[in-house]
Amino acid sequence: MFNTSLGIDDLIFLAQGAGMTILVTAIAVAIGTVLGIAFGIFRYQAGPVLAAPVTFVLDLFRSIPLLIQLVLANAFIGTVLRLKMSGFTVACAVLSLYTAAYCAEIVRGGIQAVPSNTRRAARSLGMSWFQDMTHIVLPLATRIALPSWIGLALGVMKDSALVYVVQVTELLKSTQILITRLQEPLFLLLICGAFYFIISFPIARFGGYLEKRWSND
Amino acid sequence: MKFTVAFSGLVLAAGLALPAHADMLDDVISSGTLRCAVVLDFPPMGMRDKDNKPAGFDVDYCNDLAKALGVKAEMVETTFPERIPALMSGKVDVGVASTSDTLERAKTVGMSVPYYAFEDAVVANEKSGIKTWEDMKGKTVGATAGTYEAIWLEGKVKEWGTGTFRPYQSQADVFLALSQGQIDATVATTEVANSNIKSGNFPGLVNAGKTPMVPDYVSLFTRRDEYGFINYMNLFINQQVRTGRYAELYHKWIGDGEPADLTIHGVYR
Amino acid sequence: MFHYTFHWNQAFQKLPQMLDGALVTVEIALASMVLGIVFAVLLTGARLSGWRTLSALATGWVEIARNTPALFQIYMAHFGLGSFGIHLSPFTSLLIGITFNNAGYLAENFRGALKAIPETQTRAGRSLGMTGVQAFGWIVLPQMLRISFLPMTNQMVWAVLMTSLGVTVGMNTDLYGVTQALNAISFRTFELFAIAAAIFYAITKIITFGARLLAARLFRY
Repeated sequence: MFNTSLGIDDLIFLAQGAGMTILVTAIAVAIGTVLGIAFGIFRYQAGPVLAAPVTFVLDLFRSIPLLIQLVLANAFIGTVLRLKMSGFTVACAVLSLYTAAYCAEIVRGGIQAVPSNTRRAARSLGMSWFQDMTHIVLPLATRIALPSWIGLALGVMKDSALVYVVQVTELLKSTQILITRLQEPLFLLLICGAFYFIISFPIARFGGYLEKRWSND
Repeated sequence: MKFTVAFSGLVLAAGLALPAHADMLDDVISSGTLRCAVVLDFPPMGMRDKDNKPAGFDVDYCNDLAKALGVKAEMVETTFPERIPALMSGKVDVGVASTSDTLERAKTVGMSVPYYAFEDAVVANEKSGIKTWEDMKGKTVGATAGTYEAIWLEGKVKEWGTGTFRPYQSQADVFLALSQGQIDATVATTEVANSNIKSGNFPGLVNAGKTPMVPDYVSLFTRRDEYGFINYMNLFINQQVRTGRYAELYHKWIGDGEPADLTIHGVYR
Repeated sequence: MFHYTFHWNQAFQKLPQMLDGALVTVEIALASMVLGIVFAVLLTGARLSGWRTLSALATGWVEIARNTPALFQIYMAHFGLGSFGIHLSPFTSLLIGITFNNAGYLAENFRGALKAIPETQTRAGRSLGMTGVQAFGWIVLPQMLRISFLPMTNQMVWAVLMTSLGVTVGMNTDLYGVTQALNAISFRTFELFAIAAAIFYAITKIITFGARLLAARLFRY
């Protein structure tokens, strides 16, 4: 079907782009999850009034297109503050906060879903707040939150396609570079799409499986 | 109130504690690397070779500038609309990206004297039947957002009052759209038009003759306030012509014949 | 304090153009949402139909929509289809791309919602003489849409955010496209995009707030 001039070197070039996609995603999800858990617990504990500033800022990350977040952060750091920061760092920073914003919601939802009676029971058994959190809330909330978290991590991987705007050559950008040289748009785009699909699909299925398994008890 | 604002400004400035700014020329020399914004979907000025490494007239020009400065050159690929933001956000030190020296851009960045001059031609899809630039009237045309060609073409479409103008985010997308027939024609520099048509990657594209545009002088650019660097670049461009390197690069990337005259008759720069 | 002079005035002069763009953004988002819901219902129906090929095609759509980047889908709608000689305007390409994405995500939501509707209801409908399609349309569908109301609101917000990707297929009339076009000429990147961000924020707030009002009216009982 395709008579391609795609060589081994080009495949390596694509693989490098894919590696960048995975690296940016891994960093963003790791940092974003830690921050998200912190923000999520804070929002739950502090109550709506005290947490309002945090809620507002996190909400911004969910209400403004990621593309604009990246462009604005890049312009603010580089043009306004004149700090030398690589596009890679800007991309990771913005994606981490973006992840944290969604993750905080998931964490808060997870904690809220733990019945308060269970937690009161734990506290009346003499557990401290910290013990209650680690021994009661964490295991129960994880079951509720994990499938959504997997969805979030995959979402971040797909959204990382936008970091090209701060000069990071990830998978989709490397595909476009090859399209420029080889002029085989359909074939190259299909390879690119297949790559995302191959990573995302099994993990999404696994998330769905967990959700199904854990929702029955 | 004013006092508080000024005071907090001072505190913040002290907090940021920016080291005394050596100028950019010093910075580049001491860092040992010259970061050039290059556009790599604009053959023969900027492209990628078989190993996907940057190549072309602009890439060589950046390498020459780095050599003159005694530093290593680093190519940062940008698209046309992103090249000036890339400089403004500190991702690059200089743009070697076939940048037309428009007055609008000069409000933001500092332009050197011209280092190359293009003439622009219409590139059309054969099926559109476009033979001259005036045939573009009423057709769907496109160009890379924010470029000299795009501004001219969009202006023409508005003037004609019929047809559609589409800005794409990269030169590559313009040619892709053109070869697929999504747009009927674009305006590109003669060099780029011929190089793309000759490459054989785009069957069905034809050069439909020159446009009545003013020749497109392109400059190196850096931050507006870096006079030291701009001065250096001006002398460098002068030396490139004087030593014959300009003609050499022309023959290497564009072809036989005389490279464009970079002086403008009857006026000083 | 900054080595940068803000030119807010220059940027604010462009506000009318950007607000026009915002209108286009909302139009595309709304249209893609309406079409997305229609296709999602069809996809859900196809997956329930028990007809293998149809069901596999529907599942394929849903999985591709959910497992590849939206940017990829929009790029594909323009340059991918272009390879087959199908030429769509940037507006149509963007609309198709977002609709494809919306339909995929919504169909998955609908599938989840269906689990909450007991099958006995369909059977009751059938025993009253309804056809399978009638039972789905009159009994299951309204409940399914009601249960999925919150996910639909979220998807609407995403649709608004996704319009920003149209710029990659030559779109220049939506909010992001207008801003980018202005930026490509004047390079007041920070000022222009900060204003665009504020407008996007306002749009998404209006949507979530409006949805809450709507929900209060629709679901009070």
